[in-house]
Amino acid sequence: MQKPLFPLIAKQATVRRRGKVLVGPVDLTLGGQGTTIVIGPNGAGKTTLLKMLHGIERMNGGVLDWACPIEEAQRRQAFVFQTPIMMRRSVVDNLAYPLQLIGVARREARARAAHWADQINLGDALERSAMLLSGGERQKLALARALIREPDVLFLDEPCASLDGRATREIEEILLRAAATGTRLIMSTHNMGQAQRLADEVLFVLHGRIHEFSSAKTFFEGPQTAQADAFLRGDIVE
Amino acid sequence: MKNVIFGVVASLALTTAALADDMKLAVTTSFHNSGLAEILLPEIKADLDLDVQLLVVGTGQAIRLGEAGDVDAILVHSQKAEEKFLAGGNGTHRREIMYNDFVFIGPSADSAGVKDAENAAQALQRIAQAHASFVSRGDDSGTHKKELSLWKAADLDPAGFDDWYRAVGAGMGAALNTASGMEAYIMADRASWLNFGNKGGLELLFAGDPVLFNQYAYLPVNPEKHAHVKNDLALKLEAWLTSDRAKELINAYKIGGETLFVFNAKQ
Repeated sequence: MQKPLFPLIAKQATVRRRGKVLVGPVDLTLGGQGTTIVIGPNGAGKTTLLKMLHGIERMNGGVLDWACPIEEAQRRQAFVFQTPIMMRRSVVDNLAYPLQLIGVARREARARAAHWADQINLGDALERSAMLLSGGERQKLALARALIREPDVLFLDEPCASLDGRATREIEEILLRAAATGTRLIMSTHNMGQAQRLADEVLFVLHGRIHEFSSAKTFFEGPQTAQADAFLRGDIVE
Repeated sequence: MKNVIFGVVASLALTTAALADDMKLAVTTSFHNSGLAEILLPEIKADLDLDVQLLVVGTGQAIRLGEAGDVDAILVHSQKAEEKFLAGGNGTHRREIMYNDFVFIGPSADSAGVKDAENAAQALQRIAQAHASFVSRGDDSGTHKKELSLWKAADLDPAGFDDWYRAVGAGMGAALNTASGMEAYIMADRASWLNFGNKGGLELLFAGDPVLFNQYAYLPVNPEKHAHVKNDLALKLEAWLTSDRAKELINAYKIGGETLFVFNAKQ
């Protein structure tokens, strides 16, 4: 039996670059269930916050504590970026790559990759070069590549930012399936419809800080702060 | 441009004694930055009574100087370009002299996990996977070409990278400064890294994959193409550069206690 990964507790967590505070100080406790959607104006620090929580943004102050040792916590998470990076390899080899990194035998890795390709409707494109995929197909592949290791928590930074409706729908379906099977999702989006469709809880970020953190129902029906209320109404929030 | 180049020549040329021979050698900035030339040139002068005037330029420019017959020999580190140089009848032959190596530098926290990478390709894949800030020379230098070839070998294409990949279009020192300010990853030649004074939160994270070795070769300019080149002096210098004396000096050269070059000329 694995130790629990959550709660994730941030205390005064801060990221500064060149003397400027990008995020923090953040005090936050994230529980082990559901989907957390991170919203806020452009430049509020959503990406940096996600990268900090994932451990790929160096902190200049504060602490970040997972319920298990940090090396184990790192193995149990994955991250999907807004602009995915494809390797100059086939679809199946891109999918199999993270498994091969953790020592899964080639034959098994390719079998699991083929299964995942089916899940994202790329089952007919196994041998196609990933460089030739459309933007939506690339993002689906990136998502599958992150999920193939069965992470306990998946961070996503605006994964649908430049995708059309159909690709967005497909990505959301994959995310809902992952969430239904217990994968913890922590994701930023600027699409309020998407936030409402996916969120169990909402983190509203402003000026690098957590301005409001509540259940999706509470947040969308009655935000507690004037800024969140203005943001939801579509006003420019500075 | 000419003024710039000859300005460099003037500043590096040793005082020319009336009767000493002199020749012109185009070398790369990375070789010059290493400081090894300052060790070798006085020894060459003492042993051969030969003044070697260095033209310090990028690999591409060194090759063009050789093609134009503006120098008597070139000492560069880009095998493909060297072979093209020979194929075009611009040089008589290519003699390997020594190698140094490229290293991956990055923030000491190493969030991408480059330190434990098994090879250079995996190190780059980890940086890309983490979208960790990476500074590229982006100046079409030999070092930049090398970096691009390493991404390619890692099955990755910088053309598809977003803003975590910063091509600065600058020399090694300026690029290292940028990386230091951003706490970004960067590939550098070992000598430039060791001589770099503003390391900040950066440290050497990965080295040793043979693909990172940087072979320097010496190519005399073809006298059949340019009758005025001093081929006899170029050959004299080659004999010295491949001698036991050169071997001893090159292998003993250190910065901060670290060996930079490994002599590997076939004698």
